[in-house]
Amino acid sequence: MSLYTLFIEPWTWGDWMWRGTLVASLVGVVCALLGCFLYLRRLALMSDALAHVALPGLVGAFLLTGSTGPAAMFLGALGSGLLTTGLVEGIRRAGHTRDDAAIGVVFTALFALGVILLTAFASDADLDASCVLFGDVLGVPTHAVWTLGGLTLAVIAAIVALWRPLHLATFDPDTARLLGVPVGALHLGLMGFVSITTVASFQAVGAILVVAALITPAATAHLLTRRLHAMLLVAAGHGALSALLGMYLSVWLNCSTAGAMVCVGALLYFAALLWSRKPRDGGAPP
Amino acid sequence: MPSWSEAVERTVVFFTLGYDFLGWTIAGAALVGLICGVLGSLLYLRRLALLGDALGHAALPGVAGAFLITGHKALAPLVIGATATALLAALTITWITRVSRTRPDAALGIALSAFFGLGAVLFSILQASPSGAQSGLNHILFGNAAAITPGEVGLLAGIAAVTLAGVTLLYRPLQLASFDPVGAKLAGVPTGVLHYGLMTLSALAIVASVQSAGVVLVAGMIITPAAAARLLTRRLHAMLAAAAGIGAVSGVLGAWLSFLMPGVSSGPAMVLCAALVYGVAFALRLRRPRAAAEAAA
Repeated sequence: MSLYTLFIEPWTWGDWMWRGTLVASLVGVVCALLGCFLYLRRLALMSDALAHVALPGLVGAFLLTGSTGPAAMFLGALGSGLLTTGLVEGIRRAGHTRDDAAIGVVFTALFALGVILLTAFASDADLDASCVLFGDVLGVPTHAVWTLGGLTLAVIAAIVALWRPLHLATFDPDTARLLGVPVGALHLGLMGFVSITTVASFQAVGAILVVAALITPAATAHLLTRRLHAMLLVAAGHGALSALLGMYLSVWLNCSTAGAMVCVGALLYFAALLWSRKPRDGGAPP
Repeated sequence: MPSWSEAVERTVVFFTLGYDFLGWTIAGAALVGLICGVLGSLLYLRRLALLGDALGHAALPGVAGAFLITGHKALAPLVIGATATALLAALTITWITRVSRTRPDAALGIALSAFFGLGAVLFSILQASPSGAQSGLNHILFGNAAAITPGEVGLLAGIAAVTLAGVTLLYRPLQLASFDPVGAKLAGVPTGVLHYGLMTLSALAIVASVQSAGVVLVAGMIITPAAAARLLTRRLHAMLAAAAGIGAVSGVLGAWLSFLMPGVSSGPAMVLCAALVYGVAFALRLRRPRAAAEAAA
């Protein structure tokens, strides 16, 4: 087996290879950027919640409108994402249940509802629960490339335009609020973007890769950098690199593309962890 | 959707054990709820509620790996494989949190997605192989309480016995370690041993629950009954009992709903029942003024 057959030949097999890699890289980059903000606000597991509740959103939109068109799907996922954010926030404010448990109660209940609605009422819809979990990178349609490309540009533009208030609201929400930064609106906007990204991504890569793509690059970048802009760049690089290497791995092993990308991303994280261990924070016994 | 008369008929059949397998189904579902409620309460108090989510997902590569190696669906290798990977995930999360500056919630998310991703890879390889075409991925993902075997119910009963015995014998140290880990350590409670013991038992319990609840929604059975019980009481023994009861009732109701409506998996139905109980408990708690609630505790 030569280097040519390993690295170059797959690109000559057809459009799907190019399109799949492009889509996965776009997902990797846009999720990495959003994930940094989730991570820094200690909301990493909201990504797990939002990835799962996109399913009831999609099913609900299908039951209400009878279509699986992109507009209905977007609105459904956005609606269930914002509903989840609102419910978690409501339980958190009432103060009787811990934050992490509040996230868990809400998303498992909504996901369960989604699976039941899907199997009981919408079995004729072209929605498949295990496809929602695992996605299909290689069968992704061309318009998904445009959607994700546009979304990536929109996220980058929003980060650049709102850099100061975002920076402040992320690291010091109390001061930001005193200075008149609309912290709540930024939070809702972030959650809205994550919900839209989730639904745009997971046709291609599945809910689990979305969770991985939102959390792992941000955690890797947090190990290696100390400044927000550096963290965003490293995270985006991690997202794109794990998409590319994961694509190769899945071609070599003939296995699940989304799964391979998640594994590569996790290996990159562990490499960063081992590399970044300094004497001061390492070696301390439990 | 069945008609009303059909629904009533099937309900009678379900609760009078009209088929031989229904006894196992009901026993299995109740045991799953009971075990998840008790262990979930202990995890909840340690701020590890979402650990159930991670361990449930992490069972997938173990199931797939055992299937790939043995080539058939024998209970013992599947349980050993799934427990091994779930336990490995728990250790990974503990290790990441201790040696790096990655936040605990992110460590959990990384382990969850990494193990599930590995499971997806193994399953895709499995499904391409001739023996694995009917490996029943959908049942592993979402649960099928009716397909539970007597062997699995026996395993659940064993885990329930160990859990209840452990909680009864170690009640004082567990109580101390749950509410005041630092004080417990000073008082000589082996908190490390308790932590790893709880992790091992949780991994086993989650693996054994997967047949009924599915890997995705076993998290709901860990978190929701415990969170609901916590709303109702602030005492550990009452919380453990309430969570076990809510879990068991939700489990049986979920299995019933799944029997009533063909096509509805039992895992989602169980979690939805538990969520309804949580909603009721939340409403009750809101009606009670905070000060009175604190005084009553």
